[in-house]
Amino acid sequence: MTLEISGLSKTYSNGVQALKNVTLSIPGGMYGLLGPNGAGKSTLMRILATLQEPDEGRIQLGEIDVLHQKDKVRETLGYLPQEFGVYPKARAGELLDHFAVLKGITTRSARKTVVETLLRQTNLWDVRRQKLGGFSGGMKQRFGVAVALLGNPKLMIVDEPTAGLDPAERVRFLNLLSELGEQSVVILSTHIVADVSELCTRMAIIHQGRILQEAEPLKAVEALRGRIWRRVVEKSALAGLERDHSIISTKLLGGRTVVHVYSEDAPAGFEPVPPDLEDVYFSAMAGHLPPKTGGPEKEARL
Amino acid sequence: MKFWEIFRFEFGYQVRRPWIWLIVAVLIVLDFLMTRDGSVSEVLYSEFYLNSPFGVAKTTVFGSLVWLVTAAAVAGDAAARDVATGLYPLLYTAPIRKRDYLGGRFVAAFVLNALLLLAVQAGILLGVYLPGVDPELIGPFRPAAFLGAYAIISLPNAFTGTAVQFWLASRSGRPMAAYFGSFLLVFMGFFVASFVLFRRGLGTLLDPIGIRFVVEDMAHLWTPIEKNRRVMQLEGILLTNRVLWLGIALVVVGLTYLSFRFAHRTGGSWWSRFRVRSQKASSPIPPAGSGATAPPALSARPVSRASGFSLHARQTLAIARKSFRAIATSWAGLAMLALIPLLTVVMILDQTESNGVPLVPTTARVVALLTGSMADEQSRWVVIPFLLVFFAGELVWRERDAGLGEITDAMPGTEWPPFLGKLAGLGLVLALFLALQAISGMMAQTIRGYHDYEIGLYLKTLFGLQFTDFFLFGVLGLAVHVIVDHKYLGHLVAVLAFVFIALASLFGVEHNLLIYGAGPGWSYTEIRGFGSSIEPWLWFRLYWAAWAVLLAVGAVLFRTRGPEKNPGLRLRIARRRLTGPTLRTAGVAVTLILALGGFIFYNTNLLNEYLTPADLKERAAGYERRYGRYADQPQPALTAARLNIEIYPERQAVIIRGSYRLVNRSRTAIDSIHLTTAPGVETGTLQFDRAATCVLADEKLHHRIYALRNPLRPGDSLRLGFRVHAGPHGFRENGADGPVQANGTNFTNALLPGIGYESSRELLTPADRRTYELTSRPLIASLYDLEARKRRGEGTTLEVVIGTEKDQVAVAPGALRRTWRQASAGSGERRHFHYATHHPIGGVWEFFSAGYAVHDMVWTPATRADSATTGAGQKRVAIRIFHHPKHTAHLERMARSIRACFDYYSREFGPYGYNFLSVVERPGNGTGMHAEAGMITHGEGFTAWNPEQGPGSHDHPFAIVAHEMGHQWPVPAATVEGAPVMSESLAWYLGMKLVEYAKGPDALRLLRDYLRQPYPYPAIRRGEPLLRALDPYLSYRRGPFALYALSQYIGDERVNRALRQLREKHQPKNAPLATTLDLYAELKTETPDSLRYLLHDWFETNTFWELETAGAGARQTPAGTWEVTLEVQARKMEYDSAGVETTVPMNEWVEVGVFADGKTGDPAGPLYLRKHRIRSGRQTIRVKVPRRPDQAGIDPHHLLIDLKPDNNRKALIIRP
Repeated sequence: MTLEISGLSKTYSNGVQALKNVTLSIPGGMYGLLGPNGAGKSTLMRILATLQEPDEGRIQLGEIDVLHQKDKVRETLGYLPQEFGVYPKARAGELLDHFAVLKGITTRSARKTVVETLLRQTNLWDVRRQKLGGFSGGMKQRFGVAVALLGNPKLMIVDEPTAGLDPAERVRFLNLLSELGEQSVVILSTHIVADVSELCTRMAIIHQGRILQEAEPLKAVEALRGRIWRRVVEKSALAGLERDHSIISTKLLGGRTVVHVYSEDAPAGFEPVPPDLEDVYFSAMAGHLPPKTGGPEKEARL
Repeated sequence: MKFWEIFRFEFGYQVRRPWIWLIVAVLIVLDFLMTRDGSVSEVLYSEFYLNSPFGVAKTTVFGSLVWLVTAAAVAGDAAARDVATGLYPLLYTAPIRKRDYLGGRFVAAFVLNALLLLAVQAGILLGVYLPGVDPELIGPFRPAAFLGAYAIISLPNAFTGTAVQFWLASRSGRPMAAYFGSFLLVFMGFFVASFVLFRRGLGTLLDPIGIRFVVEDMAHLWTPIEKNRRVMQLEGILLTNRVLWLGIALVVVGLTYLSFRFAHRTGGSWWSRFRVRSQKASSPIPPAGSGATAPPALSARPVSRASGFSLHARQTLAIARKSFRAIATSWAGLAMLALIPLLTVVMILDQTESNGVPLVPTTARVVALLTGSMADEQSRWVVIPFLLVFFAGELVWRERDAGLGEITDAMPGTEWPPFLGKLAGLGLVLALFLALQAISGMMAQTIRGYHDYEIGLYLKTLFGLQFTDFFLFGVLGLAVHVIVDHKYLGHLVAVLAFVFIALASLFGVEHNLLIYGAGPGWSYTEIRGFGSSIEPWLWFRLYWAAWAVLLAVGAVLFRTRGPEKNPGLRLRIARRRLTGPTLRTAGVAVTLILALGGFIFYNTNLLNEYLTPADLKERAAGYERRYGRYADQPQPALTAARLNIEIYPERQAVIIRGSYRLVNRSRTAIDSIHLTTAPGVETGTLQFDRAATCVLADEKLHHRIYALRNPLRPGDSLRLGFRVHAGPHGFRENGADGPVQANGTNFTNALLPGIGYESSRELLTPADRRTYELTSRPLIASLYDLEARKRRGEGTTLEVVIGTEKDQVAVAPGALRRTWRQASAGSGERRHFHYATHHPIGGVWEFFSAGYAVHDMVWTPATRADSATTGAGQKRVAIRIFHHPKHTAHLERMARSIRACFDYYSREFGPYGYNFLSVVERPGNGTGMHAEAGMITHGEGFTAWNPEQGPGSHDHPFAIVAHEMGHQWPVPAATVEGAPVMSESLAWYLGMKLVEYAKGPDALRLLRDYLRQPYPYPAIRRGEPLLRALDPYLSYRRGPFALYALSQYIGDERVNRALRQLREKHQPKNAPLATTLDLYAELKTETPDSLRYLLHDWFETNTFWELETAGAGARQTPAGTWEVTLEVQARKMEYDSAGVETTVPMNEWVEVGVFADGKTGDPAGPLYLRKHRIRSGRQTIRVKVPRRPDQAGIDPHHLLIDLKPDNNRKALIIRP
């Protein structure tokens, strides 16, 4: 099953254009949507999760027209929003059970199994009788995952899931996701490059409502080989460097600044560095797109 | 299945919340108290069992109201919890249908609310059946009473309430918006439905809660027997009301369904989105920088930052501004700042008119409409405290609702700026609201063509007085929300605080020192100004302001900062915060509370006697128990009194020296004299002109007994001298005005000693008498009680010298003999007046002093032959009209009416009894008049009647004067059943005749149209017939209508002659007092046998007619005349004392009329008007008229009482 997004645009009533003619083709498996804050990730995710209407465009999930058959989508959708709350006075097990009914798992015994499995998977079994009001951020997030996983969704939308998790929680969570990716379309939006590089077989970089690049992470990294250069400088020297070089990222390391630049040739004073996905991301953001066989922009022009 | 699951989960979730059980407790306790409380039943002036259908209905309505304002969170939470908690993205993406989701939530909320309202019935049942109730008050248990009230009042209210609350909450995504829904419903019931404009019927219809139906329609229109027996049925206007509101609720439910979408909440209303767009449209969005560019370095230089007081002041101002804006731009703010002021204009226009007759909208009248006491739970302004509670909650929770709580909590500064800032914001909203109200008042005045705005008075009353009361409550609301620190509970507690303030006596708390924000009210009239009402008002408000400061300290101490809610910890933090300025503020507040409270207590309880209503009843009971045995002991009659009254307006004091001449008219010697003294004044030693010793002086119950050494033999007289001093001692708990005021003094002889036991001091209502274990007594003696017809006393001649300060005029009953000025030691120049009556006057003497202007005139009997015969013994009459110098518009009309009355009444009913008539304006905004012998008094409001000029408009003040003048030709009547008929019915009959005599038949028709309107006396089918009538509808409406109808059947000469003879028979000193039976006998002698049935129908039974013209046609005959054919339907029915209707056969004379011009009336009279024999059922009447007719009908002038008068006449269909 693939998810086909074509020509999606959305402008908010305050004038912010959140999505500009987005076209993507998302196959089964884990798909990363990488972009900075405010890039339009959440808008896209909410549209996919049937909570928002685009101004233009079409979305097709297999046989389902996502924009017009919302009920159908919801039957097979798992959604973990970037932000959500819980009823503070409800117990975890009880609320998950409630959701299970709402998702259509109506036989009592099936529901009991599903709820128990999910609570164990998300490591919430021991606290299932506790009130959600007392949950930590990570526990809440895991509860959200449990809700999203109810009923083995064919389409899983996960919006910035690891933002508030500690490293251990994050690993546990990513494992859960990758298991699910074996049988469904899982879209993971994030601004954390590592999430994508660790999990996703395909990815897209989105910025200011546009898809800048759609690629497989490994291939994209490969394409950058030999074009990323590194130099460690004092902070004060940064402004000078910026004039002469195309800096894609700066990073602090032990009080000094590590500068990555993009260049086809070796710039003076820089050492070569093997690129990683982060460099792909920042290069794309800085406008250095690798030569591609068929980017979304081209398709749009056709 | 999913519907069921959503319902189940919602129900289960809410039913486990503690606050829902608190609401249950509150409903049970309040309704328990309400059931036990007697005051409401007294207000509604009828006795009923605690568990009578009416008693249950009234408490059910009250419970509904409490539920509405406390339990809105049930529907709000069900509708908006998902959005408020942020769970909705998980839920909205689940495969559920809108109707399952909304339906499950709505039904859960409705079922919860319906169950909550069962607590009301539980409260009533406990109130009735828990021990502590007099078993006599409990009637037979009737499940139908409880089930009916629950099904007819509670359930529809639950549905309507839930629908509106659910709609608003789901629309806004905020549970608290549900309270705004409650507010809208309360607003409908208390504000909109109270317009007279809508009359009773429409008001009852528009009230979503049912309070108008129960408190007005049922309370006033149902007979006591009906109240106890009749189970409320879903019929008539109640059915229409319930259907209407259920319909509205269904529409609202539909709207909720249609406007709901499983969609992302972008936040903000269409309005805020619109505003954002218009702001941003001009500025392009800056492109987001790429991660690589270096940001400008943070400046290391310190920015100058305020701290201490300046920081706090600026924070307070900033928060005040934000808070004000937040409220003013919310929907509820819009309701308060736009909807209410707009409707206020309508309300003022509505209230400055009485049945189509306009009143001058003086500023005094308008501000009285714009203000209301917090303690008046039925005032239309109760909507404001509810809004204040709502706003307070919104402000307290604003940051936390926005998710900013922890950020703002971590800001520098103490807890004071947030509290004070929000309070200031609330105050600003209130101030703006009151300013808009003032503008509304002035707009209404302008619309009525009145331009004397008196802005100063608006400022004083609205901003000085009303603002203070609202603001003090605002402090309470805010502090409660802060301290309770739970949205729904805070709301519940704040609303309960308001219920406590408004209904403190329900909780057994009476003293104003114990009721937050309470105190004596203020009054303003054009004559008195604020009088002495401001000073006690101010002391109490200062005292409460000190409490408000303490509340603020409490709020500051207990305000949570951060998520910690543990009470013990909050207490420790509070203790830590209680330092420095906060501690000093608390100290000052406590000191002020003690000092002001002590001062007030000294005034109210030590300088003055403080008596609760229960104390007063206890005294009345004690008086009866101890001295009731002397009720039948012969006492001398007071035949003459001389009074020397010195009024000192500046000091608000009066000294009265007087002497009574007492004559033994009994057949036995009298050996002891019983005297009652007046409470609240100092009555000095009494001196007799013969040897007498005081054997008992009960200063608590105000009774004295003097033993005469030599008994007073029959026919002998004695002289009794006394001295009474009245003056203020500080102020009283209720701030009650003393008798003497700086301008506008008004008191009666109630200040003077009275002779004998006064049965009027006894407790009256059966409930009170039972409580104090007194034997039951009838409200009034039976019509057939011969003893009551005996004369007691023969009236008193009065001679008064009354002195006042030099700029005022003092008035007493009697003709003015002379007036003089004299300088007296210590009090400057004073002015004295000497009044005397030649003939005895009645038992009530009124005295006045104010800066009056006097309009003098003299009525001289006409020397025409007819009056010379009838007016034998009639002397000229000196008429003096005492009025406020500014109130002159009414004088000319009043003078005309008075002259016409003297002309007509003395010709028709015999000579006037005195050689003087005083018309005195007393302070007060009432529009009515009152008559005593030789004196007519009226409130300032009377001078505001402003009837439109010209034909077709009713001159109401003229008619009122005619009515009051009618009282000056009284029939001496016994105080028995039917007594109001003998005074009020006769006076209105005279008034009608006078209007016809002075202004013609059209004016009379307008007066009768006015009297037929259902306000203020709706037609009742009360049990007792006119002969034994006590009810105002019967005496002010049915009685005069009966006499008028009779005059149309047998002629006015005969009715007038009957009245004249009645007067002549009962006027002599030794004649017995008249009753309705005597009136009935006189009328009977004047009525031919063939019409006696009319007397029976009008007086002996409660008969109504239903007359209808079903069809009416006309055809021209070949001769050129017109033949009119009427299809009429007639029915006659009697109502017994239980209100049960019996149809009785009808075969009697009824007028049939044909008119040439139905709209404007016929100047030449009707084409045809004759009485036809009409029987029950349908019948055809054919008459011939000379000219082309336009309208025809049966009983066209409404002589018979027909509750549907509109269908008597019909436009004719002209057939070829």
